[in-house]
Amino acid sequence: MNVLTRSDFEPVPREGLERGPSRPSLSYWQDAWIRLRKNKQALVSLGIVIALVLFTLLGPFLWREDPSAPSLSRISRGPSLVSDVPVLPELAPFQEEILPDVPPLPSADGASLGAPSKLEWLEPPTVQAVRMRWDAVPGAAGYLIYRSQDPPTGGYFGLPVGTIEAGNIVSFEDSFNLEDRKYYYSVVARNVSDSRQSITREVELSPGISLGDAQAIRPDAKPGEMVHFAVRPFGTDALGRDLLARLMAGGRVSLFIGFFAPLVALSIGVLIGGIAGFAGGKVDQWLMRITDFVLALPFLLFMILFKVMLGGGPGQSGISAMLIALIALSWTGVARLTRGQVLALRESEFVQASRLLGARPLYILLRHLLPNTLGVILVSFTFAIPGAIFTEAFLSFIGMGVEPPAASWGSMCNDGINTFLIHPHELIFPAVFISVAVLAFNLLGDGLRDALDPKMRSVE
Amino acid sequence: MTTETPILELRGLQKHFRLPGGRMLHAVDGVSLAIQEREVVGLVGESGCGKSTLGKTAVGLLDKTAGEVHYRGERLPAVYGADDFRKYARKVHMIFQDPYSSLDPRMTVREIIAEGPRIHGLWTRAEVSERVAFCLERVGLAGDYMSRYAHEFSGGQRQRIGIARALAIEPEVVVCDEPISALDVSVQAQVVNLLAQLSDTLGLTLLFIAHDLSMVRYVSRRMAVMYLGQLVELGPSNDVYFRPQHPYTQSLIASNPEPDPKRARERLPLVARGEISSPVDPKPGCRFVGRCPHALPVCSSVDPQWREIQPGHFVACHLFD
Amino acid sequence: MSLLTVEGLRVEFDTYGGIVQAVRGVGFSLEPGKSLAIVGESGCGKSVSMQALMGLIPTPPGRITAGSVRFKGKEILGLPLAEANLIRGKEIGMIFQDPMSSLNPTMTVGKQIGETLRYHLGVTGEAARKSAIELLERVGIPEAKNRVDAFPFQFSGGMRQRVMIAMAIACRPSLLIADEPTTALDVTVQAQILELIAELQRETQMSLILITHDLGVVARVADDVAVMYAGQVVETASVDDIFYRPAHPYTLGLQAARPPADEQLRRKLEPIEGSPPDLFHPPAGCAYRARCPWAMRVCESRDPPLWPLDPQHSSRCWLHHEYGSERRPARLHHGASMPARGAAGA
Repeated sequence: MNVLTRSDFEPVPREGLERGPSRPSLSYWQDAWIRLRKNKQALVSLGIVIALVLFTLLGPFLWREDPSAPSLSRISRGPSLVSDVPVLPELAPFQEEILPDVPPLPSADGASLGAPSKLEWLEPPTVQAVRMRWDAVPGAAGYLIYRSQDPPTGGYFGLPVGTIEAGNIVSFEDSFNLEDRKYYYSVVARNVSDSRQSITREVELSPGISLGDAQAIRPDAKPGEMVHFAVRPFGTDALGRDLLARLMAGGRVSLFIGFFAPLVALSIGVLIGGIAGFAGGKVDQWLMRITDFVLALPFLLFMILFKVMLGGGPGQSGISAMLIALIALSWTGVARLTRGQVLALRESEFVQASRLLGARPLYILLRHLLPNTLGVILVSFTFAIPGAIFTEAFLSFIGMGVEPPAASWGSMCNDGINTFLIHPHELIFPAVFISVAVLAFNLLGDGLRDALDPKMRSVE
Repeated sequence: MTTETPILELRGLQKHFRLPGGRMLHAVDGVSLAIQEREVVGLVGESGCGKSTLGKTAVGLLDKTAGEVHYRGERLPAVYGADDFRKYARKVHMIFQDPYSSLDPRMTVREIIAEGPRIHGLWTRAEVSERVAFCLERVGLAGDYMSRYAHEFSGGQRQRIGIARALAIEPEVVVCDEPISALDVSVQAQVVNLLAQLSDTLGLTLLFIAHDLSMVRYVSRRMAVMYLGQLVELGPSNDVYFRPQHPYTQSLIASNPEPDPKRARERLPLVARGEISSPVDPKPGCRFVGRCPHALPVCSSVDPQWREIQPGHFVACHLFD
Repeated sequence: MSLLTVEGLRVEFDTYGGIVQAVRGVGFSLEPGKSLAIVGESGCGKSVSMQALMGLIPTPPGRITAGSVRFKGKEILGLPLAEANLIRGKEIGMIFQDPMSSLNPTMTVGKQIGETLRYHLGVTGEAARKSAIELLERVGIPEAKNRVDAFPFQFSGGMRQRVMIAMAIACRPSLLIADEPTTALDVTVQAQILELIAELQRETQMSLILITHDLGVVARVADDVAVMYAGQVVETASVDDIFYRPAHPYTLGLQAARPPADEQLRRKLEPIEGSPPDLFHPPAGCAYRARCPWAMRVCESRDPPLWPLDPQHSSRCWLHHEYGSERRPARLHHGASMPARGAAGA
């Protein structure tokens, strides 16, 4: 087709000249949704948020454990998946070994004391009890028994589990919160001056459950049988309550507060800001002075004050107090934002056009001003949620929030800090959940902002 | 000139804005203009002369500081409430300047056009689609554009939607506030032709406010020239354009770029010196005095009189005393 | 020898919606001391072409994909930054449409002019200040001695544009590029600015490229004209030829869309129907095809070449082909035709 012929120069009618929009019609929201979908980070965050909500709402139907039921025999257990354990036979009462020919309180000088020469188990150690005896140290005024989970080093033997105050008692039974793991027991004379004069022995305990606890689960349990033991994928807290169930319950509280406090605060803020921006004049002045006043109040101080005034006594969960406090103090940002938007939009030509047609002020506010402000408000909302979650967590952490038995992720962190050094899982799990939730909401908010207002998009 | 009651008459219209610090900005400072039914009157001036403010004040979007606006002899309110707008929107209406901000981005074209008739109860629910399609086709757009959103259209198309919206309530007088300034040259002609044709077929009266002298002359029968809040000249468009009497009009016409190289080379620029002065707290006397090549001593102290120097041709200038 | 020769310039941009071909093969030349007006509507690529010339296109998202720009015989497209800086501002001055965003609001006018003087001519201190005052006087700023220490916001629009001009001519460039310098200004001020530029040209034999969409400005200022549409040059000619002997339907259309300047002439405005094409997917054939009253079959499939009808007059239109003569309207000026045999295809 390189050479042109006469027929190529025949006239051709002009095509449809009014070139209208060629792509399918998209409303503002549809367009925004498409943009959001393209943003991988935002989509992942949205997925996480939805997963968290499902976790807290639907989780309890799949994992039917009572979050408030204590189980004092299994406190502060780490995550475990062991499910069937043998029932241990009943323990016979412990007989202490008292040496007859050793004076109860010999008066030897500590420097001359050595280590006990032998440490042996009286019977096979189980998670029910570890019974041990040792050879006496001449001149000892008594003995100290320690237990640790790691081999003792440098004079540190671990948890003191027993103190014997007489030099002629050379046996001990430890039944304190024993788990199926390795332990190192150390015995040392009480009045020894060189703490290295100790004897240490390792023991590994296998899983088991006492007859009493077994019968609590299944009344007809007998020694030697296997009893099905509740799996605790996230472990238990200091009262033996299942952490997974508590995370779900706590999540409900945290997310509920995180969602509803901003929702109500936003509604109040939009209303006040919208009226201020639209009405102008004295109304605007007064509303804004009130807003400034509330804004100037020291947040933490007043949250605590609210809690003290409204918190009620023990037994009340403290959730409503927290909600009220959060709402009362956090509507101001949105109010200012809305007012600014409304002020700017009020002068735009499409609002003038509507006014000219005879539209009433309320109609203009609802039909023209607020819909055009929604994008900004929605973004503001999505950023307010992680703020509320975090504030609630923080307040519960310092004890000014949710009261037991109700739990929130923040109060769980508060509980977990006590045992952090030994049982870190109690703090780590709720803390991780808080962090993930806050991060996900923040990233989602970023994504929404980019999707709803392309002008604010950062340079890519 | 007929002696009928003008359909729209401005009498000594003033609009002042108070600035922080107590000074007054005299945006519109005593404008009188009578427009007859079915006339197209043009209003030109440079930026800052107050012509947009004049349009908005005449229509009621801005409150009048002083002076009156009469519709068929009936005095319009100085300050408009929503009910006043409702009462007068079908009599005196407006087309806005910026096609990019005069349409609500959250509304479909259908909702935009139907808003006025809905407020005024002009259409039944059943006939809305049909009527909107008619309005769109009347301005040269396809009827099925009504389900789309404003941001999907070009500037020229949006301006047409704005015209369709204004005409949907069948007004009698339409103030066109710079309807073509934001548009490309080739599209300006489309909109101007559309306005001229519609005003003919619908019997509209237009006040055409713009700064493009050639376009204003083309489309209007009479033309007024505004400077710093006041009218300096008014007359038949061709007379004002080709035989300007006021020194400001003369410099305006002389500066107007002509798409004709021979003419452009021949023309002696009677260019005004300096730039437009401030409309804040103006001093007495002619406001053009600092830039006028023919300034007389009296011009600095005495306001010039508005005189009819030829039938239908008015000037405010001491040269005609 | 021509001062500036541009050939086959192509620029594209990566955007959110895809790749935009903003400039699709632009070429023109300019003699010393002459004025060239580049006319076109928004989106035709005129500003982008000038920015490419000056090396002002941000890459990314922009890209110069082809072309050559020879200034005083030397290729300046793609020069490394250090060399480009020697030419920009010194040999070629540029003024932009909006003076408020082109001037640094936090620096006095005198310092900004001084910046140019210092960078290119090594002039500093008192000498720079004196030169700045002289330049301000030259561009018609009253009381230049005091105004030299004022900030941009203290000037009116027209005055700011004069300051821009002062900065642009500070080093006596051989070429001044003015991108819509008066679009944002009032008509009376526009006339003053154009008069000022004409004076400066006469004084220093400076060449001028003026970008505008206003045919009236073209008529007043230009010696030669290049009309651009959809990223291409569609017609180049002397100013008289463009107005009295237009050879492209778009040029005809632009003139017909303006009201007649003659009182006696009663002509209706003839708008150009439709709107410019989408530069994300430029049409295969002639870009003006959809809006052209004389479109032919060949216009849909083949892009016409820029064809010289006369020694100084070229047009990019199939109506100038031998076979197009029947379709060609009388008011379209014609000269030498494209031959039927031989390479006649873009």
